[in-house]
Amino acid sequence: MSTFATPKAVRGGQERGDRNFRVLIILPAVSLIGLLMAYPMGYAVYLSLVRWNDKISPDHPFVGLDNYKQLIEDDEFRSALMTTLYISGPTVVLGVGLALGFALLLNRPFWGRTAGRVILLVPWAIPPVVAGIIWKLIFAGSGGAANFIARGLGLTDHNIQFLASSTSAIVILILVEVWKWTPFLALLFIAALQNVPGNLYKAALIDGAGPWKTFWRVTLPNIRGTVMFEVIIQSLFSIKVFDTIYILSGGSGGPAGSTTTINFLAYLVSFSRLERGYGAAMAISILILVLLVAGLWILLFSIPGRRPGAKAMRSARIGSHSHSGRDLA
Amino acid sequence: MAVSHHRGPTISRRSLLGLGGAVLGSAVLAGCTGNSTTPSTSGPLKGVASPKGSIRILDDNTNSVFKDSAIAAFEKSTGIKVEKYVQANFNDLHDQLATMFSAQDSSYDVVMTWAGWSAEFGQAGWLQEISRSALPADTIKPALDAVSWRGKVYGIPKFVSVQTMFWNKKLMAASDVDPSKGPQNWDEFLSAAKSMTKGDVYGYTCDMGNDAGVKQNFLRFLLLAGGDMYDSNYQPIFNDEHGELALTTMVELLHKYKVMNPASLQITNSSDLSSLFAGAGTGMVFNWPQQYAIATGKDSKLDAQTIGNGLIPGIKVRSASIDGSEGFAINKFSNNKDAALAWLKFAASQQVQTKIVQDEGWFPVSKKVLDDPASIRSLPVLKTYSQTLDYKTKRYGTPWSSEFSHDLAIQVDKAMNREISPKQALKAASDKAAQLSDKYLKG
Repeated sequence: MSTFATPKAVRGGQERGDRNFRVLIILPAVSLIGLLMAYPMGYAVYLSLVRWNDKISPDHPFVGLDNYKQLIEDDEFRSALMTTLYISGPTVVLGVGLALGFALLLNRPFWGRTAGRVILLVPWAIPPVVAGIIWKLIFAGSGGAANFIARGLGLTDHNIQFLASSTSAIVILILVEVWKWTPFLALLFIAALQNVPGNLYKAALIDGAGPWKTFWRVTLPNIRGTVMFEVIIQSLFSIKVFDTIYILSGGSGGPAGSTTTINFLAYLVSFSRLERGYGAAMAISILILVLLVAGLWILLFSIPGRRPGAKAMRSARIGSHSHSGRDLA
Repeated sequence: MAVSHHRGPTISRRSLLGLGGAVLGSAVLAGCTGNSTTPSTSGPLKGVASPKGSIRILDDNTNSVFKDSAIAAFEKSTGIKVEKYVQANFNDLHDQLATMFSAQDSSYDVVMTWAGWSAEFGQAGWLQEISRSALPADTIKPALDAVSWRGKVYGIPKFVSVQTMFWNKKLMAASDVDPSKGPQNWDEFLSAAKSMTKGDVYGYTCDMGNDAGVKQNFLRFLLLAGGDMYDSNYQPIFNDEHGELALTTMVELLHKYKVMNPASLQITNSSDLSSLFAGAGTGMVFNWPQQYAIATGKDSKLDAQTIGNGLIPGIKVRSASIDGSEGFAINKFSNNKDAALAWLKFAASQQVQTKIVQDEGWFPVSKKVLDDPASIRSLPVLKTYSQTLDYKTKRYGTPWSSEFSHDLAIQVDKAMNREISPKQALKAASDKAAQLSDKYLKG
């Protein structure tokens, strides 16, 4: 072989070599991450296909999909699923709505805006367990701040047991979850709002659009992707909520099982009842639910023609010279 | 050989690959080593004359006497080293133990247990059975319930705990019940509770804020109503007139007579209850022995003269109570069970039990210490404990304790909130208990 191979052939060989080397270099990290995710998940799938309760028998027979069939027939699981939906719905609507409101407010220049943004982050910075303890103390049945305020304002003449009633316990759980996640969501919205081209607002102003129309036809379409992302992750957070329930209910998912979501039930089944096979089936079902919910939101946000202000957005981008405001109608 | 026209890297691919391989290989080798478990001892553990080595202990946060003095004394007297002594919150310990046992982890040789866990983990084959010949001769027999299940002993108790009644004598003076004697029957209890209820201070408070709290409170009232939870075959028998009386009484205390502090439905542990009583926030509690120590402590608004203590007055019987004894057990996967057994015996010895009585206010497991006049002098409530031995004191630890507590709590909570009647609640709970009993005993 000639010592002087064509430059192109040499370059091609070296590029392949470099590519192979790059792949090889990241392979350990990717393998480790894959192992850390794939192994537990694979083991969970395996567990979900066996009957495993050491208190009943040391044998772990393969039962196929029996655990999943049991889930469908299990009243407790169905009840936990409904509880999850009751909590998830309002949490998503309130959480995303409030976050957007805060973001719009904190995106405008005003004195103290930076301090406002910092204060907004405090709930998110507090560890979830600490946050749960704080709220539990606030709503304590005797001596809590909520009762102190309610009695001080004359709203009641006796202490209210907020966490002893199913309805109020769920409301408080939603409140705490919204309080916990709104700062993070608001931060994402602020970042998105800052990427909206300023000339769009100028064009809207020139065309005589009011604040609501500007929001609906300019702001919202331009942060649509962020809205979709936040709706998805807030849905996932609310489906997976655990620490807040554990702290507020003393580890029981009560009162009367009212705050037992599917994730909490999976914990009770796996760790309190030691039914590992059934608990794993529950966990895998939660994973499937989470994927379905994410897929549903992506589908809803992807439906063509349903994007608010899409037409107006296109006109504004082209640099509309019309002052009739027709394009923003 | 092709000639490279590029300037090569200062570190060659070969050397980097070699380094990466070495790192990966080391990681794999490190992963291969780990806790190796010795084969479990078959048959009940009898122990050996002079065990050696070291042990690790996982306890709850009830006692401080072990870390304060007992461990040092144990090491000195046996030569066995206590490598680690960890205390975890009782409410979180079950899951920690379950995870450890499921993984056949030998990280801890000695673990804390009580009646429910001895049954649960014992049935699962995760606790080492101990031969009765290895038990200290003067162990109070009822205390063994905390560490036994179906005739097998899985540990040695570390203290005895039985609930008795504590009352605030100053508040009780407003009633027609003699504060020096306290209520002797249920009518007197109710009368005293009504007199003591003023404003935010209620005559009676309990801790029903979580599953375990609901179960033990319901069980106590069931026993006070003359009932039982299970028969000898562990079939539920609480769905009868006794059970209905018990749950109806609880509901009436809260809603009809309004003498039960509504915060009882949110209080999740006995420590909070103890603090409330010590702060003169309630007139009467049914609580564990530690109540006395907290109520006579420096932060308390009460003292030995203003606290009354006596038997819990029954509704249909003179008295009854629930047992909360705790013990130590040996991890089936431990690598040094003999040394672990030595610790169990030491914790039940006269030396340690005296400190548990005098320093912490718990009841002893040793009969010698129980009968010692010095014990009664330092812990007057021991007299009441001796009286409880004449009446039914139960806990009903079963392998399905955790599961049943959750189901029972759901029904009792609904009844307490008047969403369903006591009868409906008991029927639902009893049906579930029967299913669980069949599931765990018949397979």
